[in-house]
Amino acid sequence: MAEIKIKNLHKEFGVGDDKVVALVDVNLEIEGDVFVSIVGPSGCGKSTLLNILSEIETPTSGTVSITNKGHAALPGYVFQAARLLPWRTVMDNLLFVQEEVTDAVRARCQKYLDMVHLGDKGNKYPGELSGGMQQRVGIARAFSVEPDVMFMDEPFSHLDAITARSLRRELHEMWKATNKTIIFVTHDVGEAVELSNRILVFAKGGVLKDDIQVDLPFPRDPSDEQVAIAKANVLKKFEELDLVAT
Amino acid sequence: MTTATAQLPKSTKPVSLVTRWKRSTWIPRVLFPITILLFWQVGMQVIRRIWPFAVDVLPTPMEVVDMMWGEIINPFVEGKQAITRENLYLTFGRSLLRLGSGFVIAMVIGTIIGLAMGLSKAVDAFFHDWVMALLAMPALAWALFTGLIFGMGNRSPIVTVVLTGIPFVIVNVREGVRNTPRELFDMANAFKVPRNRATRHVLIPSLMPFFFAAIRYAFSIGWKGLVIAEVFSGQDGAGWTIKFYYDAHRAHGIIGYAFFFVIFALLLEKLVFEKISNRVFKWRPKTTDVALVEALFDGPDDAASATAAAQI
Repeated sequence: MAEIKIKNLHKEFGVGDDKVVALVDVNLEIEGDVFVSIVGPSGCGKSTLLNILSEIETPTSGTVSITNKGHAALPGYVFQAARLLPWRTVMDNLLFVQEEVTDAVRARCQKYLDMVHLGDKGNKYPGELSGGMQQRVGIARAFSVEPDVMFMDEPFSHLDAITARSLRRELHEMWKATNKTIIFVTHDVGEAVELSNRILVFAKGGVLKDDIQVDLPFPRDPSDEQVAIAKANVLKKFEELDLVAT
Repeated sequence: MTTATAQLPKSTKPVSLVTRWKRSTWIPRVLFPITILLFWQVGMQVIRRIWPFAVDVLPTPMEVVDMMWGEIINPFVEGKQAITRENLYLTFGRSLLRLGSGFVIAMVIGTIIGLAMGLSKAVDAFFHDWVMALLAMPALAWALFTGLIFGMGNRSPIVTVVLTGIPFVIVNVREGVRNTPRELFDMANAFKVPRNRATRHVLIPSLMPFFFAAIRYAFSIGWKGLVIAEVFSGQDGAGWTIKFYYDAHRAHGIIGYAFFFVIFALLLEKLVFEKISNRVFKWRPKTTDVALVEALFDGPDDAASATAAAQI
């Protein structure tokens, strides 16, 4: 579990006429084993925020602190594409991101491969797996470092609907089993409602427009009436905030 | 109501002889040399009838094979002496030693410069035009130039191998560094993987295809440079021996030695490069794309079409 504090965060790319403002004065606090989704239209700065949180990019101004009981929190990351090393086996891809490789670490990696139903694929190369399986390996890799906080950048957007649905269920079960803080970027409101306790709505230009609590019991079935109503309410907010493309 | 079938319907149509021939690869492979030898043999017979002087300059395949066989076994037959000063094994040994030395120097220096050019824009700007100029320089010019500077001996062929091979190594290694997948480095950074581990497991493996291309280019281009250098400034070696047969007006010697080169290059490719390459790139998925394109001409292969259908 982690504690995330974002104060007056501002991010720009380029200079002069090429300057693009990605995030404007973002202030946020996230704490505990919550599943937080960041939604918004393309170019609203969702992925930029995630990249800053995971230190892939640095902010132009403002501060970000991610701690766990006063210490720097350990992050895990699931990308849009699986980003596996194609020349290393599935197990070696998990071991690549570990601080050290011991028998206990190997057993831990195997445990997470089992959790994503790929326990018998440790010796396969990524090229031998389907897109859905590769993304499962990406999820297992992120959990295998036993992070305090997990960043996920539209991890299911490249997958077909059926695979994405089953992966969402697996992700929910893993979150419940491990009590992580998860920051999940998506453009799919239904996905956000199905998975999260809290939805942050960003508008074009990188402005945080709303912070919605989703107080529905888990597991949530997308065909469930309550979930459908919650989804409709969030979409209504989109309209109120003028986020729907015309 | 819809039904789903788990298996592809099996074709019961008998495969014709022509289709079978079109699908096999070993028949056309064997057919190629047989056709060439046949044309060569018949062509020589015809030309020799019209122009008897051709006996010296246009040998038949059998005369070339005779010469090659003689070169192979003569060193082991008592009383038989090589026509040239040194036998085939000594000749090739010398040439390979020169090629190997030049190749290693070209690979080491070329890799260092290529890496520096790929990593730094300033270094790239400094070397870029010189490397392009080196690429355009004919091996013959290097052979003559080094021959004049170093005279007879080992140095001229070795330096020619280095100078002809090095630009190909530099260009390939530089492209390899530039094509390193940035997203994999970002992934390593996000997981706080130490820099040296990321270099070892991300940069180096992604460079490998380019490095192998560099090895093959440096070897084949350097090999040609070596022979030319030996022709002009050698007192021994394969290039010099080919020149010897040229001076002696014996075409079967020139062709025979050229074949020794080809056979050696093919053996090296099959027994060394291909084996190392298969080992290093065993992670590459077995793609059916090539088979699918070929199917446009040859008709679908059963295994390829089944795999393609399964993927759909």
